[in-house]
Amino acid sequence: MSYYPLLKVSGAQGWVTLCNFSPNNWEAGATRNQLVNVTWCADDVWITACLGTLEVGKTRTVTAQDLQGLVPDSALPLLSLTQNPLPPQSPRLPKLDGVKTATPAWRASLGLSTLQAQTSYQGEMDPFPAPASLLTFGPFVQFGAEINNYLILLNLESSPSPRTDTLMIYDAHHQALKGQFDVHNNQANVIPLDGLGFHSTDLPLFVCRTMAAIPLYFSRTADGNFLSLEHTHPPASLVVHGKRWEAQKILKNRWFEKVNPKVNP
Amino acid sequence: MTPSLLFQRLRRAIWTWKQPLTQQPSERTAPISDLFIWRASKDWQTSFELIDIPSLFCDYPHTIPRNVTIFFFDDKGRYCLEKRIPVLPHQRQTLNISSLVGESHGEVGTFAVFHADIPRAVTDMGSFLTERGYVSYRYQQAPLQAYVHGNYDAIARKSDHTFERLGVTGWLPRQYCLQHAMQNPSYYEFGLVNPTNKVQSFTCQWISLLSGKLLSHQIVKLPPQGMHLIHFPINQSEPARAVIQSRLVMARPLVFRIQNSKLDVFHG
Repeated sequence: MSYYPLLKVSGAQGWVTLCNFSPNNWEAGATRNQLVNVTWCADDVWITACLGTLEVGKTRTVTAQDLQGLVPDSALPLLSLTQNPLPPQSPRLPKLDGVKTATPAWRASLGLSTLQAQTSYQGEMDPFPAPASLLTFGPFVQFGAEINNYLILLNLESSPSPRTDTLMIYDAHHQALKGQFDVHNNQANVIPLDGLGFHSTDLPLFVCRTMAAIPLYFSRTADGNFLSLEHTHPPASLVVHGKRWEAQKILKNRWFEKVNPKVNP
Repeated sequence: MTPSLLFQRLRRAIWTWKQPLTQQPSERTAPISDLFIWRASKDWQTSFELIDIPSLFCDYPHTIPRNVTIFFFDDKGRYCLEKRIPVLPHQRQTLNISSLVGESHGEVGTFAVFHADIPRAVTDMGSFLTERGYVSYRYQQAPLQAYVHGNYDAIARKSDHTFERLGVTGWLPRQYCLQHAMQNPSYYEFGLVNPTNKVQSFTCQWISLLSGKLLSHQIVKLPPQGMHLIHFPINQSEPARAVIQSRLVMARPLVFRIQNSKLDVFHG
């Protein structure tokens, strides 16, 4: 079973809908009631609180408002379902004992809402190895008056020790650096993409050399009436079958070298 | 190996042996694409973010024009038309798919995007280049488009210009249970695509999240390459979840959710 991060962006409320039913009828076997947990990172330790029980066949939506006063505003809340209680404090991110599936993974609805609209995707999150790297091409910037675009860089690692990397944003065509931002582990790092000088034919390239992450793109109209949320693929998803992770390595090395020939990937 | 572990492995083998998610194309250099859903009508506009994927892996001479070919199919899976689009290396081209498909092929269907060049870096790894890129939908002239990524390696194009559908079916009926709570008031449309060579039957069930009872169901039969939008209004009904039963290894739908004329779109 995986974790489900509760997203945070200014002007929109994050929510997660957990489901206690299997995504298919052949991998999970019988399910039973599960505990709903929220885990977060604080002072070099993982803290977990139990939010109750979720019956078989039911769903439960947890919002940022539900966690006010429990999870510090600065922490990334991670929801989970487990069959047994998690330790209240742990030096490593607790391993979850819930049922795991692969085709598809056991997911939740992860979303953002305003008073007028909501947007979501079906997702899950497992800890990344550290260090690891990120390279992705993100053609999701939308243009127009009163439209705001954000990159939400989601990182999760087993260690609660804080560390920082630099996210470099380039225009892939000219390999021109458009911006650089500090990003933190075990966080939903929100990066505003407006004002970086991207045009409608520019292909933004996002690079982190020592931190892997899920790159989400959130666009909204300023009045909150319209929202869009989706993630881009890792390079391995550009190919299928064979040694696709080797193909990913080739692509990453090529682009790491292209955008900064002096630095060894 | 304990008897319990052996039983588990045997049980899993029934569902997985010779039943991969997608099959390999018969030609080593065949490009692969998802069968993306297009919508074109007064209310719907579809766009596609075209990226020159081969040029991400290697440089090509600027002097030689390169392109992708986009094939359009109607909801019955019948070929409609094809368009060759020149690619711009390392740039983004937002294609108005609704405008490319025109008005004479219905309001919904699928399209596939095939890249002409397959980099050695890909074939040397025994891999295949696949287009699972990004589609966006605009509903009722909204100022914002809603993005969703492709999720299936559905179809390959062979060197003799024929297509090879890559979807795999299992021996036993499988359920795809969308892990999403359908709350009112919303209007849901589930886009189903058949990426196999045979007619497939899909049974869609909507199950109450309060009582667990079946609220409604619908059966659709799709020809190879065909697609269908199943409608489910949830205005007055109880919150529900959707279960899709078929012989596909994974019948993952594309979900359109409309609430107060606002669109949200996501993959199962």
